Amino acid sequence: MRKLITMLFLGWGLILSNPVFAYLSMELTRGVAGAVPIAVVPFSVGSATPSQNVSDIIANDLKNSGRFKVYGGNAVSKDMPTSYYRSIGADSVVQGAVREVGGGRYEISFKLLDTVKGKEEGDATPLVTKQYVVPENELRAVAHHISDLIYRQMIGVRGVFSTKLAYIVVQRSAGEAARYTLEVADADGYNPKPLLTSNDPIMSPAWSPNGKQIAYVSFENKHSSIYVEDVATGSRRLISDFRGINGAPAWSPDGRKLALVLSKDGSPNIYMMNLATKQLTQATHDWSINTEPSWSRDGRYLIFTSNRSGGPQIYQKNLATGAITRLTYDGNYNARASFTPDGNHIVMLNQESKLFNIGILDLDTSTFRVLTNSSGTDNESPSIAPNGSMVLYGTLYSGRSVLSMIASDGSVQVRLPARDGEVQDPAWSPYLS
Amino acid sequence: MKLNKIAKVVLIGCSILALSACSSKHKNSGYDATGMNDMNTAGGAQASGAGNGQSYGDDGSNGTARGLAKRTYYFDFNSYVVRDEDKPAVLANADYLVAHPRAKIILEGHTDPRGSREYNVALGEHRANAVFDMMKGRGVNLNQVRIVSYGAERLATPGHSEQDFQLDRRVVIVKSQG
Repeated sequence: MRKLITMLFLGWGLILSNPVFAYLSMELTRGVAGAVPIAVVPFSVGSATPSQNVSDIIANDLKNSGRFKVYGGNAVSKDMPTSYYRSIGADSVVQGAVREVGGGRYEISFKLLDTVKGKEEGDATPLVTKQYVVPENELRAVAHHISDLIYRQMIGVRGVFSTKLAYIVVQRSAGEAARYTLEVADADGYNPKPLLTSNDPIMSPAWSPNGKQIAYVSFENKHSSIYVEDVATGSRRLISDFRGINGAPAWSPDGRKLALVLSKDGSPNIYMMNLATKQLTQATHDWSINTEPSWSRDGRYLIFTSNRSGGPQIYQKNLATGAITRLTYDGNYNARASFTPDGNHIVMLNQESKLFNIGILDLDTSTFRVLTNSSGTDNESPSIAPNGSMVLYGTLYSGRSVLSMIASDGSVQVRLPARDGEVQDPAWSPYLS
Repeated sequence: MKLNKIAKVVLIGCSILALSACSSKHKNSGYDATGMNDMNTAGGAQASGAGNGQSYGDDGSNGTARGLAKRTYYFDFNSYVVRDEDKPAVLANADYLVAHPRAKIILEGHTDPRGSREYNVALGEHRANAVFDMMKGRGVNLNQVRIVSYGAERLATPGHSEQDFQLDRRVVIVKSQG
């Protein structure tokens, strides 16, 4: 026992010398009206003792999506006929089992049943039924994958429970300089892992299209430089270190180029760098501020922020013809724009009177809509989920910087407060599997 | 017994953390790049406060050199015009550089935290450039001055009042090692 305590102290000492994890949690603050009612029955585990509660993870995933009314945990009895779940209000029910199969591996089996269509007891039609065998450290991943399948079946859209979030944690301790960490966590905030810790600011994380690399701006050389880091191994290379600004990296859809901002020629302009050859192509050529490039999904357009008409607005460049058109006219400040996955909308930071909000512009109808107008505070850095359903962004809560999510139609709101540090500048990963 | 199993997991977790801490790289420049497979979150809770109301303390208060006049200049919202009351100090600092052609400085540009981060980096650079232009006009050599914009990434104060925002909007002269 004494040995154990000694080992524990040794462990704690080493943890303290490591970067601070933000430890995000998720709080649903608004869900859709008419959410899909679903029962998630606690999975039977028999004599197994898995380190993760798979059905709890699924129940939380579905609940925090804001689109399900979940009957789960102690609220549902196990091993009941589907008519019981129908009687408590659930149109569907998820049931499953976790079984140890030796070698530290578990078999997870589950069924998603429609309780409405079955005519008699035990006659419910399985909508999805699957089985997996995984090692213990993949239990959370499998649970998220099951949530994805349920979401896809019930909502008709691919789920994002298996994606990841990148963000910057800023730790300010009494009497010490700030410490910055680029961190990646699961989409539910679990498993935070640091990619870079630094005494100097880190900003603008950008996932490569295959999710294997992150580009970012680091001030570790006492000025801004752009690095690309491999997410799994942490190995990285310096991509851009010109005199002046090196900023706002944005991956082309084929992953071969980075659009970025350089002021080496006198004022901030947008360039595209071929990552293999390091060759630069200049995309804007004027004396205004041009920044925050973002690619269309087909790689034919760049949208960017420019103050060429006075204040920052969003412009679009046709890369084939070179033509530049202005896209935003609502409000005196529009910046940091990106396309939704379907290419029909752009999401951006917008200011109309005082506060900064996340807004969405319909490119077909030119209708603009503010999503965060009830937040009562400034917002920043919108990043859209790969299924287009939710926007991740930074906001203030009780005076601290936290992350939040809002549905692209405003119907769902989630807050992700951090237990430690301030969290900012988030980026939602692409699909990873 | 369940307790033994938990103890085992924690022990293994701590050991893995020990190994990863030993193998963590490049601490010399104050940065540390680790991949996701290196670090094991053994659920270690690190207690650390968010540090309210502390001086961020790294804007021009270090490296005081004789002969430099006031070294922090404040700007109006959305503006990069050097204020009249700051011009004498800018020119005095420029004169020092002209008199000491081997002296080098960094002009750090900063903004308040509102708006978009990368746009703020550009705005901060405009502010530093405005001070630089005045110095160039006074005869300072181009290679004596380096421009760095931190945008809103190095705030002077954590608060969100108008007074706090005013303190954030600044250009700071920092003595450079070369």
